[in-house]
Amino acid sequence: MLDAFSRAVVNADSKTACIGGDELQSLKNFISEGNKRLDAVNSIASNSSCIVSDAVAGMICENQGLIQAGGNCYPNRRMAACLRDGEIILRYITYAVLSGDASVLEDRCLNGLKETYTALGVPLQSTGRAVGIMKASSLAHINNTNSEEYGGKRFRKMEMKDGDCSAITSEAASYFDRVISALS
Amino acid sequence: MKSVVTTVVTSADAAGRYPSTSDLESVQGSLQRAAARMEAAEKLANNIDQVAQEAYDAAIKKYSYLNEEGEANSTDTFKSKCLRDIKHYMRLINYCLVVGGTGPLDEWGIAGQREVYRSLNLPTAPYVEALLFARTRGCAPRDMSSQALNEYNRLLDYVINSFS
Repeated sequence: MLDAFSRAVVNADSKTACIGGDELQSLKNFISEGNKRLDAVNSIASNSSCIVSDAVAGMICENQGLIQAGGNCYPNRRMAACLRDGEIILRYITYAVLSGDASVLEDRCLNGLKETYTALGVPLQSTGRAVGIMKASSLAHINNTNSEEYGGKRFRKMEMKDGDCSAITSEAASYFDRVISALS
Repeated sequence: MKSVVTTVVTSADAAGRYPSTSDLESVQGSLQRAAARMEAAEKLANNIDQVAQEAYDAAIKKYSYLNEEGEANSTDTFKSKCLRDIKHYMRLINYCLVVGGTGPLDEWGIAGQREVYRSLNLPTAPYVEALLFARTRGCAPRDMSSQALNEYNRLLDYVINSFS
């Protein structure tokens, strides 16, 4: 497993070069922007069960067949497995956001996931849709752009300093996209 | 490769939980200390040729018998390889400064070191002398801040100890 720093080291070692100049500058940015990253991880982790259950509920709303007899979320047992998997995927995404590198997500979560789901008969398209909803709501949590209008009774805003989080947002988005493309 | 972040992630994963507040705290702690390491890494990267050359010269000066016929520093090829070895250690120290752990040195420098030097019949004392020279050569605040120098020297010590 690598993080942003060891990724730079592995890349530099393949060229037997020292780490300096631009690479070091991007790591310095990583350090100075570190608190945004930690806040992002915190805001996903603290709202994880909400993000996951919303995503699975949204997926089912769009495709009611899933909870009818014979559907893939039909008895509670399978619905529970679905929620659990959503939580696992989101958890590995938080690890990737925290370490600034996708290797933990790739090695421990996505490697062989598609094959497993195909073998178990899990519909990949629905799974991808659920991950897409998790992506949308996670990014909203990172930027704290959720509003009472969307959240309704369950609206909750984290106490965070506002700032420009575009870099960490697009980085987090790339991890969700990785999951979606690994499943399609 | 081991670092604060990967350690935190590994233990969180083993427990199957999201990164907790204390996980985030320990990552933040390592980020706060990282500035000094980055400074040392940058200074070392900018001057690595000079640092390695000086360290190499010091070792050969002390162990001048190495220049004699049949010894490890006798031909131009051998000389350049000796210098390259010192530079490798400096580069791995640069990596360790970036990662914030001794992973790169452990995995790419120290593992198998003894066996290689034994089979090639190379003396390790000159390496120690070269690294020791670098250890005393660094000076704060002329070369880098004292905190950065501290991180740099700590890794030099680590390599020196690996030779004993």
